[in-house]
Amino acid sequence: MVDYLRRPGEKERHGDTMENDNILCVKGIKKSFGGVHALRGVDLTIKRGETHCLAGENGCGKSTIIKVISGFYKPDEGMIEVDGKEYPVMTPGSAIKEGIQVIYQDFSIFPNLTVIENLAFNQVLANKKKLVNKKEFRRIAKEAVKKINFDVDLDALVETLPVADKQLIAISRALLDNAKLIIMDEPTTALTKKEIDRLFEIITNLKENGVTILFVSHKLDEVFEISDSITILRNGENVISCPTKEMTEEKFAYYMTGRHFDAQVKKEVNEESRGNVVLEARNLAALGFEGVSFELHQGEILGITGQLGSGRTELSMALCGLLKPTAGQIFVEGKEVHIRNVSEAQKLGIALVPEDRLTEGLFLPQSIIKNITVSRLDQLANKFGILSDKKVEEESAQWVKEIGVVTKNHEFPVQTLSGGNQQKVVLARGLANHPKVLILNGPTVGVDIGAKYDIHRLLRDLAAEGMAIIVVSDDAAEVVTTCDRALVMQAGQVTGKLSAQDLSADVLTAQATVQEGGIIDE
Amino acid sequence: MNKFFKRMVKQTEFYVFLIIVVLSLVIQVRSGLFFANNNIVDLLRSMIVPSMYAICALLAFVSTGPDVSFPLIAALSSYLALIVTNNLGLEDTSWFITFIIGIFFGCIMGALNGFIIVRYNFPSLIVTLGTSSLFSGILLGAFEAERMNLPKNLAAFGKASLITVKNAKSGLGSTLPMTFLLMIALYIIAYLVLNKTMVGRGVYAVGGDEVSAERAGFNVKGIRFGIFVVNGGIAAIAGLSYAVMSMRYLPTEYAGGEMIVIAAIILGGTRMTGGIGTLKGCLLGTLLLTMVSNSLILLGISVYWQKVFIGAIIIIGTAVSAVQSHAGRKAKTRLKKETA
Amino acid sequence: MRKMNSNIKRLLIILVVFVVIACATRPSEFIKIGNFQTMAKQLSEYGLMAIGVGICMISGGIDLSTVYIANLCGILAGLMMQSGGSIPLAILVALIVGIICGSFNGFLVSYLRIPAMLATLGTYQLFMGIAIIASKGSTVSGIPAEYTSFATTALFGYIPLSFVVFLLLVVVVTFIMSKTKFGTRVYLVGTNEKAARFAGIHGNAVLIRTYMLSGIMSAVAGLLSLARINSAKADFGSSYTMQCILIAVLGGVNPNGGFGTIPGIAIAVVILQMMSSYLNMFPGISNYYRDLIWGAALIGVLIMNFVLDRRRTQRLSKIS
Repeated sequence: MVDYLRRPGEKERHGDTMENDNILCVKGIKKSFGGVHALRGVDLTIKRGETHCLAGENGCGKSTIIKVISGFYKPDEGMIEVDGKEYPVMTPGSAIKEGIQVIYQDFSIFPNLTVIENLAFNQVLANKKKLVNKKEFRRIAKEAVKKINFDVDLDALVETLPVADKQLIAISRALLDNAKLIIMDEPTTALTKKEIDRLFEIITNLKENGVTILFVSHKLDEVFEISDSITILRNGENVISCPTKEMTEEKFAYYMTGRHFDAQVKKEVNEESRGNVVLEARNLAALGFEGVSFELHQGEILGITGQLGSGRTELSMALCGLLKPTAGQIFVEGKEVHIRNVSEAQKLGIALVPEDRLTEGLFLPQSIIKNITVSRLDQLANKFGILSDKKVEEESAQWVKEIGVVTKNHEFPVQTLSGGNQQKVVLARGLANHPKVLILNGPTVGVDIGAKYDIHRLLRDLAAEGMAIIVVSDDAAEVVTTCDRALVMQAGQVTGKLSAQDLSADVLTAQATVQEGGIIDE
Repeated sequence: MNKFFKRMVKQTEFYVFLIIVVLSLVIQVRSGLFFANNNIVDLLRSMIVPSMYAICALLAFVSTGPDVSFPLIAALSSYLALIVTNNLGLEDTSWFITFIIGIFFGCIMGALNGFIIVRYNFPSLIVTLGTSSLFSGILLGAFEAERMNLPKNLAAFGKASLITVKNAKSGLGSTLPMTFLLMIALYIIAYLVLNKTMVGRGVYAVGGDEVSAERAGFNVKGIRFGIFVVNGGIAAIAGLSYAVMSMRYLPTEYAGGEMIVIAAIILGGTRMTGGIGTLKGCLLGTLLLTMVSNSLILLGISVYWQKVFIGAIIIIGTAVSAVQSHAGRKAKTRLKKETA
Repeated sequence: MRKMNSNIKRLLIILVVFVVIACATRPSEFIKIGNFQTMAKQLSEYGLMAIGVGICMISGGIDLSTVYIANLCGILAGLMMQSGGSIPLAILVALIVGIICGSFNGFLVSYLRIPAMLATLGTYQLFMGIAIIASKGSTVSGIPAEYTSFATTALFGYIPLSFVVFLLLVVVVTFIMSKTKFGTRVYLVGTNEKAARFAGIHGNAVLIRTYMLSGIMSAVAGLLSLARINSAKADFGSSYTMQCILIAVLGGVNPNGGFGTIPGIAIAVVILQMMSSYLNMFPGISNYYRDLIWGAALIGVLIMNFVLDRRRTQRLSKIS
């Protein structure tokens, strides 16, 4: 086991046997971008035929090292060795020739072209073909999908296909070139549980056929399920590399953040301390879900969980005016309401922290001030609609301090912040109106573990002060650590309820219960 | 066969085709003159230059974004071609030579567009607005271009006609000039390149997803740059064709043609967001708008109302297209749910 | 304004430099009251339209119909005045028509989600068509002297009234865009329309109001033009559309939306008008050179902004 945390400076020795066993060996990779050190001397060794997981928080250098391995970036220093052959300079072309294929999160597909073209182009271009030969394309495409038994309409336009199919297209394409090493960058982000299972089946299959896989992920359960070895990076440096069986969950969390913390934030489970019902849904339905009923009390955190496509996101949208309910009722503090848009929801005291902060939550090139105060413009302006600059800045400064956004100046564009701080800005905005109900969708996606902990603790503090909170999340661990109760959704319906007791059991049991869909109520 | 039919019905081009058929039938019923041979020839004749421009607009939109400089590239390159032809004493050579000279200049201007857009990644609308202004200033300011008569070779080319028809009833005649063949040739070449070569598929790939195109191995910058150069060349051909058909060169007649062409290709199914658009859509859209401009009078609708009609068609057409693409997005979310 | 935008500073510097050059090279012609008055009168018209186009661009769209709204309003007002109608009523009608046209644009862009470029392409044809029908294709003239005298009157004897109108509107719109919640919302909608909806902003209402404001600008421009030229025509000023977009971009408006200032646009208009008049003083150089310079200037400014912004973001990322 190589542990860089314990023995800094000491390097691994090459044994003679290692050279033949390893398909990839990179050492001492350094890479900076204009003064920012993305990689400070990273090593990565992958054994032939294994499924290796590369983990780390946002910004640890995972994406950069992948791009170095696949030839897109030239490292400032360091050595790359593929299958025993050393590459002083790695180019995308040589990487592909060595059988290194990367499947990015966006899958690198052309939505406006057919499946055939998407599958065939890489190879056709690599062979420097200039003309279109439809028969040849179809042959290549058929060959590609056969490798993973992927049944798809080859003539369909890719944009009409679901996300999981797009990913399988990307994988099929990668296999065409007799890929020896397939690198998958956060492959499960956009997949439902069923699709993830299918993906893992395919990965297992590939392994049996001798394909090596480098799997980038931060999801604990997946890492433990699928990988043979793990390498963890932090701040552009190695933290540890070891076989999965030598790793535990606590160690994993520790290595990822460098902090020990009693993995969970302590919850006071006290049903009596719950306040009145502040939000109620009765048989609520909208595009994507139906028949949802629940009561939300003051001071409690309700989790709504389920995989992608379960309707959990649509439910959160219906509760804050983004989606029109087609049936059922919503009650706020006992009174029935019809919420037509977000502004009305805000007036009723319901605030939303959206799922995708980059496209739904933030105005990236605008200042932090503007981003925080956007929902408070009515209150910060006088009766003629004129804003007081002073009030706006004061309020923004106050929130930055309270929530702990790390920045030198809140006039800077919000895009200069890290992911975790950006999420805090969105959170601050939601809280700015002192809502009665705060709904958060995926509150810690793409957020480093330190900020994740901060946000979770903040949520528990807010609940303790009486706010009612709904956390919509597909992260079982998050649901277990933050929520008092939870609803489990599947295919648009509530299929399970988890009580406080279920969630206060030990972490692993609780997570399993969540993942299995909870206990069906009578 | 069934799959083919289903796919066809989903395309915008199919509906535009239907509208054209219906409209032509309506006009024929009202006036009895639509399918008259001279009217058809007139229609085709009016379509020649806009159709050529439409290829420029299509290439730009599919891969990058709006290009509004092609009319002025047409004007300036034609001017330069005529000047060079006259000054170098080339009037006695084939018209083809003058066209080649024009294409040469057009490509240079297109290269300027391509360079700025690719190097700095600026929105193509704004850059081409700027270069359009620049070319106009060069043509009318620096060169002080004025009306000119055509040199001998072009005049002869212009007089030659492909088809001459005479309407027995009305006694009106109409000729289809040789430039119609140029248009057909351009479309054939464009079709072959866009559908049968990897570079052509690259145009669509770049418009679909630039990053994916780069990763797949397409030379994204080269393709984009190349498109603008080609656009310059096509614009030159269109510009000279226009001069040939008018039997003289009029520098001020070129500006302003870009908006209708863009409207035509959008009606024909080209997406503003890029990646989607066909040549047949260009032809259908251009045909539709040309029909509206030319043939409304056959319906007894006064010329004054023309612009209102065109405006209404553009608004309705783009509204339908916008609503359709939103329905498409909703369908995708439903699809996600079903596979959960 | 406590903080002056660096872009505005840049523009002011260019303005000052230019004035110095002009005064130095053509003192007798440039430094004349009459010259300034003419410049002021001309720039008021397309300056207002440029501001209209500018705010539409800030909101993430564009307005290609501005010139034709101006023409239509001018024609309708002219027709009313021509037949002896009351002048204040004609002005009111023009403004209302401007509001209606603008709102229609806004409706197409917001509720029907038609891309602004296409929507205003359609409406420009539509408005021009209506103008043609109203004016029967010919020029509307014969405007009573009481109205056209507006164009020749000057405040304190020096400052043309039309310029005063322009300045007033610049101040009002600047105030609206920078100090009101509506203005802030326009910037945010232009930056990210989806996030604006998620944050509780009524995107559709904001857009309709934005285009309505542009419509009002066009209407006033049309009225000013009517007074100055004593006539109105459906296809007048078709080259102004491009000029207005150029001016807006030169004035610092980001074509992608979300950024730009009104004073910047106003200064850009002044610079361009001065340049235009300056060129007029060289009989050898035809007016068309203006287009050349403007085209080159647009691209030059885009490149300059690009380089400067990139340096700024790099600097900021290093700090934070």
